Amino acid sequence: MPTQALRRQPIIPKPADVPKGTVYVIVEECKGCELCIDFCPRRVLARSPQTNSKGYHYPVVLKEGECANCQMCYLICSEFAIFSTLALEALPTAETG
Amino acid sequence: MARIGVFVCHCGENIAGTVDVEAVTQVAARLPGVAHAEHYRYMCSDPGQKLLIEAIKEKHLTGVVVAACSPSMHEMTFRGAAVEGGLNPYLSEMANIREQCSWVHDDKAAATAKAIDLVRLMVEKVRRNRPLQPITVPVTKRALVIGGGIAGIQAALDLANGGHQVILVEREPSIGGHMAQLSETFPTLDCSQCILTPRMVEVSRHPNITLLTYSEVEEIGGYVGNFQVKIRRKPRYVIEEKCTNCGDCAVVCPQVVPNEFEGGLSWRRAIYTPFPQAVPAVYTLDEEACLGLHPLVCEKCFQACEAKAIDLNMKPEIVEVEVGAIIVATGYDLFAAEQARELGWGRFPDVVTGLEFERLLSASGPTSGQMRCPSDGRVPKEVVFIQCVGSRDPEQGVPYCSKICCMYTAKHAMLYKHKVPDGQAYVFYMDVRAGGKGYEEFVNRAMQEDRVLYVRGRVSKVFEEDGRLKVWGVDTLTGQPLEIAADLVVLATAMVANTEHDTLAKQLRAIADEHGFYQEAHPKLRPVETLTAGLYLAGAVQAPKDIPETVAQASAAAGKVQALFSRDELQREPVVARVNELSCEGCFDCQKVCPYGAITPEEIRDREGNLLRRVSNVNVGLCEGCGACVVACRNHSIELEGFTDEQIYGEIVALWPMPERAPERVTVKAQRRPRIS
Repeated sequence: MPTQALRRQPIIPKPADVPKGTVYVIVEECKGCELCIDFCPRRVLARSPQTNSKGYHYPVVLKEGECANCQMCYLICSEFAIFSTLALEALPTAETG
Repeated sequence: MARIGVFVCHCGENIAGTVDVEAVTQVAARLPGVAHAEHYRYMCSDPGQKLLIEAIKEKHLTGVVVAACSPSMHEMTFRGAAVEGGLNPYLSEMANIREQCSWVHDDKAAATAKAIDLVRLMVEKVRRNRPLQPITVPVTKRALVIGGGIAGIQAALDLANGGHQVILVEREPSIGGHMAQLSETFPTLDCSQCILTPRMVEVSRHPNITLLTYSEVEEIGGYVGNFQVKIRRKPRYVIEEKCTNCGDCAVVCPQVVPNEFEGGLSWRRAIYTPFPQAVPAVYTLDEEACLGLHPLVCEKCFQACEAKAIDLNMKPEIVEVEVGAIIVATGYDLFAAEQARELGWGRFPDVVTGLEFERLLSASGPTSGQMRCPSDGRVPKEVVFIQCVGSRDPEQGVPYCSKICCMYTAKHAMLYKHKVPDGQAYVFYMDVRAGGKGYEEFVNRAMQEDRVLYVRGRVSKVFEEDGRLKVWGVDTLTGQPLEIAADLVVLATAMVANTEHDTLAKQLRAIADEHGFYQEAHPKLRPVETLTAGLYLAGAVQAPKDIPETVAQASAAAGKVQALFSRDELQREPVVARVNELSCEGCFDCQKVCPYGAITPEEIRDREGNLLRRVSNVNVGLCEGCGACVVACRNHSIELEGFTDEQIYGEIVALWPMPERAPERVTVKAQRRPRIS
């Protein structure tokens, strides 16, 4: 399709039932490899300026609400220091699909 | 002993006005091997052809030279006459003394001398002509239709109903094309989808149609009757046979992007169907919009699919098919409206193109058919329609008329008035071109019954002032400048050639005109064929067209293909390369230069099966007679039938100054260059 179609902003609001996730970081487990930051498809995470008690820069959530709960960070983390859960208020239902 | 007949045509004054045909005939009669020479007013006329037939019979001619127009004009005529006289058609040749002589020269003496030379060399050629037999090739009775819009759908259905196998290739996930995007159609205001979707469903159910959506033609080889086509099937990551169209995958998909089908006015997920009635009714995973497949990131759709229809490891697939004919129905694109900068498309959300307005009108569109402004959702009370955006505008757009804009603008204005009866619609037009059955009446209805205000004139500028759009224009009938405060501005953008026209045209060996529309074989008498045999056009790929014309041309193309398929074998010109196996050394230089892949190695073995030599072999079905191999062959082991070295050298030698007496026959062997002394 022509590219011109994409220049226009959709006139109806974005669907509200898009799955969203909440990211949890277990700060003390992190070893600062930053794989989760590199592999996050929506670039939700960023390197924290602070360090944990071991001296590693752990990840922090930069864009709250952007997480798609894809679990990529959980899969990629070798220390099991990060995971996400489905944000409960945005559970999709069959009717709103 | 050759007995050649020479026939010189006057072509009225076309030839006789510049060339002394009497002198040409007299010289020709004295040429070696010529047994008969005469001239006549119109050789192509029935009496002219009779002269030729009678002379062949009475004088037992072994070859014929007709000195007249270009062979592309009348070669078939005179070959037919030669056959009627009892000769092999390839013993008849034409000397072109019109296009290449009389039409381009003024000096009568010089033109006559040149005409004599042209006749002399043709006589020398015909003396060396061999009778040739046409090559028959089988026809694959299966057709390929490229493009699944209304043109492709109609052509495919007509062919399939005629009992032939059809492969329909569409680049998008669903067939339907632009017609599926329309709200209503002029002049009857039929709902577009209501008349289109039954056809789409018929395509999907028809046993003779193989539907390949989300696929593109990658490579085309072969020739009429025997095309080899490679089709690239893009991975849709959904197994078509298993998908039940339940939509569970789309619900859980976290990626939301603008929907191209709605002109970007609404949203879709990364896994989607473009519109509810899509055919095939399966979901497609948009690789670019997906969170990530390589490496696999999300797979929520995969987990949600109960039918196990999602295959995230799907790879692009190349399907190879053999077809006998190809119908191109790749349609059009819209003129990029941002190029008309003064009209503000892309800067102001309430300036929309015609196709976007169709989606705003459509009951299945983003607003569910309610008339709303894209910016804030208010009901537009003043709507300005601007015609000829890009069309008839050689400076900024295209010089041609896009043909459908007058009608669809009238339709838009009418539908707007039906939805907002107290609103006001203005149409700025150059001319109203409403040629078509019921079209003029339709425009009149828009003006009189629906009170659409037609203003003859151009719009110079659309701009924003105090939060409202202002349209500056001029009414050229009264000379009054106009300023209209508009809620919505609709641009009737031009139809332009499909963006992929040139890559496909190269593959198809078709010719596109300066605007990218494909060239038909003849603008009046062969509007459906192209100059490539076996390749036909349907719809807006040839020129801007409305739906009835597109459907008519699609049916015509299908009719042409059915005529082609009515025969079991096709006859091809026997002008092909021939290898002398005795002298071929097997270097295969010819194979490297052959653009058609017609040359393959052949092994010559003795009775015990021991390999003696490897030589070139020409597939006469694939050979197009271009002669590249003849040039490449180092020891003259390949010759082109009908244009052998002997014939060509004979022609060249004939152009040497005429000897006092008849020369001895120049003997030329195919393997050696002639000794010219």
